[in-house]
Amino acid sequence: MSGPFESADGRGAWSASATRPPRPADDHAVPRARRVSSVKLVVAGGFGVGKTTFVSAVSEIPPLTTEAAMTSESKEVDDASLVGTKTTTTVAMDFGRITVDDALVMYLFGTPGQERFAFMWDDLCDGALGAVVLADTRRLADSFVALDYFETRDTPFVVGVNHFPGSYHYPIPEVREALGVAPHIPVVDCDARNRQSVKVALVTLLQHVYELRRAALVP
Amino acid sequence: MTHELPPRGTPQDFVRPFVITGGRTRAADTSLRMETMVQTVGKPRDDLNFEKARIVDECYEPISIAEIAAGLGVPLGVAMVIVGDLVDDGCLETTDPVEIELSTITRMIERVRAL
Repeated sequence: MSGPFESADGRGAWSASATRPPRPADDHAVPRARRVSSVKLVVAGGFGVGKTTFVSAVSEIPPLTTEAAMTSESKEVDDASLVGTKTTTTVAMDFGRITVDDALVMYLFGTPGQERFAFMWDDLCDGALGAVVLADTRRLADSFVALDYFETRDTPFVVGVNHFPGSYHYPIPEVREALGVAPHIPVVDCDARNRQSVKVALVTLLQHVYELRRAALVP
Repeated sequence: MTHELPPRGTPQDFVRPFVITGGRTRAADTSLRMETMVQTVGKPRDDLNFEKARIVDECYEPISIAEIAAGLGVPLGVAMVIVGDLVDDGCLETTDPVEIELSTITRMIERVRAL
């Protein structure tokens, strides 16, 4: 099962497609609802840390977004000079999808890129199974908002340390100490451009959620 | 002599997004989430406006409200209002969130590993 539309930028994808999906010819062709459920995972972190790249590394559809891209005016505000060649960012949610089986779909939602959109995070995170907080070792403090948020909400999360070319590779224990996360929170290296690396981060999150839930079941 | 179209995103293109919903910014059904799965049910109807008809056409395979918003190019809140209306009209059904069991998480882990 793949998505019914594709779009490079995810804006108004249906209007870009020439064909509409086939409509059942008669009443009998209309299926009963198949009861497909969904699970939401959140990818959070500071501006330009690689959230959309992370989503696109594992999504079966090109990442979609529900809002417009940010204008260049915001570059001054967001200090994009530190993030190299990045020219656009998200003002809303970028998301991707992984079909688990006939009955379950996973959605990966990236948080809005800037702290001033944090008011949207409650909608985004309500019902989320867990979160990956991406951290950039050049600007660790940018991930503090996300860490604080998920700690306060008791949303299970793991930290993915995204490595950028030319940045010093800090050992995980050092990053963990600098972030000040609790000992039971997994912290893993994560290259958002690398599918295998992103898979490891996601599996780490799911295993963390599994362990927390299993522990909660034990009386 | 051809006239160049104005670039996309100019002020002339701007239509307030909640025009489609008659100004409503909240769906009547507050249980709807961006990841809520939506599927078309019932027989096809010809009395729906453009956005509604498009959603009904696209949802014979279940998709999320977020995908509907992205597909129509409307904000999430707009998609939620229209989906809520279509559920009330009997054109769409939504799937309630299920309790995630440990076995479900195991399925997810296996799926991600197999990517």
